[in-house]
Amino acid sequence: MDTSHIAEHAGAVSSFFASVFVVATFSMRTMIPLRVFAILTNILLITSSMATHNYATLALHSVLLPFNGYRLHQMLQLVRDVKKSVNSDLSLEWLKPFMTERKCTAGEVLFYKDEKAESMFYIVSGRYRLVESGIELPVGAIVGEFGMLSPSNLRTQTLECIEPGMVLSVTYTQVEELYVQNPAFGFYFLRLASARLFQNIATLEQRLAAHAAPPAAAPASA
Amino acid sequence: MAGVWSSIRYLLADFIGDDGGTPPFLPDGLPDAVVPVASEGIERLIDYQGAGYAQLYVDRLKRFVGRHGVDDVLFGEIARLMAERMSYDDPIGIAQAKLAELDAGPGTPRVASDDVRKFRRDELVEALPAAVADPLLGILEWRGWLHRPVSMRFSTAGRFGVRRLKIEAGLRRWRLFSVRYGTERVWVERWLHMIDRSLTKQPQAAAEIVQTATMIHDYGDVYRQGLADWHLIIDGLAKPTFDGALALPDLAGAIREARAAAMPDPRQAALKRKIAEIRGRAQAPQLVVPANAGTHNL
Repeated sequence: MDTSHIAEHAGAVSSFFASVFVVATFSMRTMIPLRVFAILTNILLITSSMATHNYATLALHSVLLPFNGYRLHQMLQLVRDVKKSVNSDLSLEWLKPFMTERKCTAGEVLFYKDEKAESMFYIVSGRYRLVESGIELPVGAIVGEFGMLSPSNLRTQTLECIEPGMVLSVTYTQVEELYVQNPAFGFYFLRLASARLFQNIATLEQRLAAHAAPPAAAPASA
Repeated sequence: MAGVWSSIRYLLADFIGDDGGTPPFLPDGLPDAVVPVASEGIERLIDYQGAGYAQLYVDRLKRFVGRHGVDDVLFGEIARLMAERMSYDDPIGIAQAKLAELDAGPGTPRVASDDVRKFRRDELVEALPAAVADPLLGILEWRGWLHRPVSMRFSTAGRFGVRRLKIEAGLRRWRLFSVRYGTERVWVERWLHMIDRSLTKQPQAAAEIVQTATMIHDYGDVYRQGLADWHLIIDGLAKPTFDGALALPDLAGAIREARAAAMPDPRQAALKRKIAEIRGRAQAPQLVVPANAGTHNL
């Protein structure tokens, strides 16, 4: 029995559905649904191209399918990590995969006070000092995360490398892109930034209280 | 339609180097005596790069408005010298200046001129966007041609010369992506940082720190020499004094003395000797000039 006409019909039907999914993919506003629809489109087009022996389309969508899957996985993982961070140690470690390495030499200044802030840094190794306050930052510290959210967008201190090492940096533009592409990430990022800000306020309040506390009473003399 | 067009411009802003913003206003609280200098600086930078770049100049000026220890004269000098350094001499700027000479205004006779300027090869390449310049600089370094001199003609005599100048001046769209702009931006920030630290640690030296900007001018070897000398003086005298590593009660005098010793010598022997002598006199806890001092951008 000749089944080629059945395959042809199946190919035409899947092509029709694939076209609907292409339109749906392009109408998505945010990244996660866009990737999900792109994956569904890839699967449908692979099916239809197998039926119609269109090998060029088959090859193209066989490449695009794992690519879309990987990007979707990255986005979901990012949201998961940020959400986890909000509920645990408030760290910004989840940003590391999006950061680029930068080697620093002693005496090099990463940014100056009052300069417009454009990126944040994660200290991997070496020693770094905030020049104006003289505070040394430990390995693992994140510097400049509030600059992105502050209205003035200016650095409040100068950061100098005093012993060679490496930092990871990410520009605010990159974080903004993640934020805009992914509303869930944006929501948890805001919660995380607010939580870190409240944590800083609490630390300052504690210091102030310790500073304002009256000195311990001297032991009564015999 | 206007909305669509503005979206397209926004999308391509980085590529077309769009800087069609409105000219910035002078900062609130700017002393009256500084207004003419600052206004001139804004106009100069709008012509040089655009309104956005002039806004950066205004933002930098704001740091000194109402600042303790900054009188009108000092503020005026900061405004003047910052505008000069922010409109540095690169091949694009020289082409712009030649074209401006040609269009001196209505009623002014057009006088054609022909200039040949000598640059270093790395200087020419550094005027290009970093994405293009970085691989080219790598090739030049590998071939050992990085510091070779190269002559460049800036001519307003003839249609071909003017057309060429217009193309060169058109590169200003991408100037803010260039390697050279990155160097200049860091330099201006460092200079302002040193003024800021001087105002905090040794206010009587602030005027001398401000005047160090005059060490850097022109292009080619003169520019490189000035830049290297400046870094040597700052790393050898000013920074250690502000860090508390060197006890120099008269930093201004020390900087003047060091500047007087600076010679047009790529090895900077006389300047290094003078700085070592000043540091020796100061009997600092650390008498060694930092190993990386003066090696910037040589």
